Amino acid sequence: MQIFLQTLIGGIGFGAIYALVALGFTLVYRTMGLVNFAHGDIAMVGAYIATTFYISTKLPFAVAMASAIICTAVVGLVIERVLRPLENKDFDLMLIGTIGFGIVLEALAALIWGATGSAVPSPVGTQPIHILGIYIPKYDLVIIAVAAVATVVLWLFLDRTKRGIAMQAVAMDHEEATAIGVHVGNSNAIAFAIGAGLAALAGGLAGPVLYVSPTLTASLGIKGFAAAILGGFGNIKGAIVGGLAFGILDAFAAGQFQGYSELVTFVAFAAVVIVRPTGIFGESTVNRA
Amino acid sequence: MKKYIGIAVLVAFGVLLPYGLGSYAIHVANVAIIFAILAIGLFLTMGIAGQINLAQIAFFGTGAYASAILTTQTGLGFWPAAVCAVLAAILIGLIIGIPALRMQSHYLGIVTLGLAVAFTNLVSNSSFTGQAQGINNIPGPTLPGIDLSSEYNYYYLEAVALAIGIMLAAFVVHTPLGRRLRAMRDDDLAASAMGAEVPVLRMAAFAVGGLYGGVAGVLYAGLIHFVAPESFSLANMFFLLAMVVIGGRHNLWGALVGAVALTLMREALVNFATYAQLAYGSLVVFMVLFAPTGLAGIPSRLRSLLLTRGSAGPDSTRVAAYIPAPSLGRGLHAPAPSAPNVVEVDGLTKNFKGLRALNGINLVARKGEILGIVGPNGSGKTTLFNVLSGLYTPTEGAVRILGDSAARVAPYRLSLRGVARTFQNLRLFTRLTVRENVMVALDRTLTRWSWRYFLWPLGVWRQDRGMRVAADALLERYGLSDLADTFPTELSYGAQRRVEIARAVATNPEVLLLDEPAAGLNGEEVNQLRLIVKDIRASGVTVLIIEHNMGLVMSLCDRVVVLANGAVIADGLPAEVASQPDVIEAYLGDSSLLDLPTTETAGTP
Repeated sequence: MQIFLQTLIGGIGFGAIYALVALGFTLVYRTMGLVNFAHGDIAMVGAYIATTFYISTKLPFAVAMASAIICTAVVGLVIERVLRPLENKDFDLMLIGTIGFGIVLEALAALIWGATGSAVPSPVGTQPIHILGIYIPKYDLVIIAVAAVATVVLWLFLDRTKRGIAMQAVAMDHEEATAIGVHVGNSNAIAFAIGAGLAALAGGLAGPVLYVSPTLTASLGIKGFAAAILGGFGNIKGAIVGGLAFGILDAFAAGQFQGYSELVTFVAFAAVVIVRPTGIFGESTVNRA
Repeated sequence: MKKYIGIAVLVAFGVLLPYGLGSYAIHVANVAIIFAILAIGLFLTMGIAGQINLAQIAFFGTGAYASAILTTQTGLGFWPAAVCAVLAAILIGLIIGIPALRMQSHYLGIVTLGLAVAFTNLVSNSSFTGQAQGINNIPGPTLPGIDLSSEYNYYYLEAVALAIGIMLAAFVVHTPLGRRLRAMRDDDLAASAMGAEVPVLRMAAFAVGGLYGGVAGVLYAGLIHFVAPESFSLANMFFLLAMVVIGGRHNLWGALVGAVALTLMREALVNFATYAQLAYGSLVVFMVLFAPTGLAGIPSRLRSLLLTRGSAGPDSTRVAAYIPAPSLGRGLHAPAPSAPNVVEVDGLTKNFKGLRALNGINLVARKGEILGIVGPNGSGKTTLFNVLSGLYTPTEGAVRILGDSAARVAPYRLSLRGVARTFQNLRLFTRLTVRENVMVALDRTLTRWSWRYFLWPLGVWRQDRGMRVAADALLERYGLSDLADTFPTELSYGAQRRVEIARAVATNPEVLLLDEPAAGLNGEEVNQLRLIVKDIRASGVTVLIIEHNMGLVMSLCDRVVVLANGAVIADGLPAEVASQPDVIEAYLGDSSLLDLPTTETAGTP
């Protein structure tokens, strides 16, 4: 039982990070109908930037994170700007274009930071909190709190501000949105920038728990994306639940199958989406002839 | 002729190449050929069948590892191990392809990518596969009289494999199987309505990817004598993807050129691997933006650019007049009341979540009848057609076509049974020529038939040639001969509508469903349409036609069914129905009936 709870807590901590990655995917998907395959690379770059500011320039963790978010938001704007001619035209091409950007970002990261990774010390000390016989690392609580705040802020932005509602209008029908005076390009740019910022937030938060290295792309990006699909693509609730579910699945797979955790996780994920392609909260769409 | 000279030059180049290469260069050439074979596989799965497959590298790995394990651990010879390894790769291809039955596009991309990660995770952990160290001392192939341990001789083995691979791919792409795959890529809904078994075709696409991946893997293990997980990493998957995208994902030669060019580039920049990665990543973005059809597509893009700049080419939007079938009189009228019912719909209801689109529809259509289906927008006409063609399954009620139930029957089965349709919003296969569009529909075989590709290719070729002759005859009759080699996107709206009807007729239907065939047509085109539909009926086909052009409906249909809010509100002769007050209220408005054109002037503006 103790081991179970311990694994669960660990899973929720990672799950919160996956949920942030999934949120970024979801936001971009919802406003642009585009799945950004460079998202994992953006998270990796964000993690490196945050680490550089935190360790090398000795900035406080929060400030380092904020700087990383701003830097990657700029990266996001650049990607969106370059790929804009393809928007709402050819989704396969956009997908390949984002993969191209992913390859570029990975190469740039290797050029700047080298192929080796770096360990990041926890900003809140390593002494865990001891409750009911289980140890809860303080840093896990930080992750969960930050993820929760980010989710609420994002939701308020999308549902309560004029700009956010305009972005949702673009997602529903970009032509109609243009007709009522929404600038689709700007809306997409903002979505991409926020998505990239969320990726950096996830990457930066993952630094102290995962070792910052080029493999973060796969461990954060693909798992975050899988989490988004698992929850039901394109909705915020789905991203959160999917992220947590994926974190917990991953934690138990790691406990049970050690080295094979990725195999088990991805095969389980494939099996789930074969049975239910629309994810937990997804809506089925109807083919229109 | 030019084509054959090109191929001859290429073959001569391939044969003579090793004489000009040093021992390192021949190794590079051998690696390039392996990537070329792998790239053909991805080209077929992604470029031809439209399946976003990011696990091609795992098929490659399966072939390499399976052959390594079988030769080093079970003592099997290279060749029997190779056969088993290729079969294993095909099997893995089929397994990884299962999600494609349920999802497409981005979703499929991420699921296959996840499974590729799962594959590397498996081979780097299992002691069976030598974990991170991989497997060493894999024996190479042997042939009597030829020393294949020499890389020069190995080159010829690979070159033969590549040549066979190219021929097979080219043959598949241009014959019925490949045409169906391309049709599915362009529009899977329309493809299934034309008789293509979409699920089987998707699995076939992954099996073909597995075949090429497996062959490449076996050759790789035999060349390097060593396999390790990093050769099958995501980085290499993206490298492979870059080859196909940069070369041109819809073009066989493009994929090959991309594979060779990128392998050479990586070799040239071997000491600057990161810069090489930067270069091909940027190149992918560049190609996607400025040359989406890849290097292979550049010549034709330039040509079309020059054509539009210079004098306009032949007017490709002209449709010639329809040539009526000679033996059938067009004076044929409505079938006798004793004619058998071909379509029977009984209490049909269709719900979409809370919305009831069809609410207890009853109707019949007799053999050889032209039945008009009219009603305001949103009354359920197209939904009815979608049920009749198998795209939707009914919520309640019975549908019988030609005596057998048609509810919960797959669209391709209904197509083979004799149901054909056109689409309101035009669903032609946009990257197939007009002739190929028709040839897809002419193909009445099941995909199972594809075994002949391996055992009796001549039969496939003969079938294809027969279909080409039949397609040309049909196009001639429909006045589309001049447009046979153009793509639907180059055609006028009216011409596209004509092609859709020709495509539907090519399936040799018993029941033809026409969804607003006159929409967007001018007066002369409407007259031609009337002629065509009467001719189709004269050959014994039952025609159901959704139409808003009341002049056409009045002059063409034997009987009219009026839908409103998902229910039948009238059913009878056109003149009777048009005078019914509730029909007038629901559909025509209050007084518009007074302006209805009579049969003589109908359709001419």
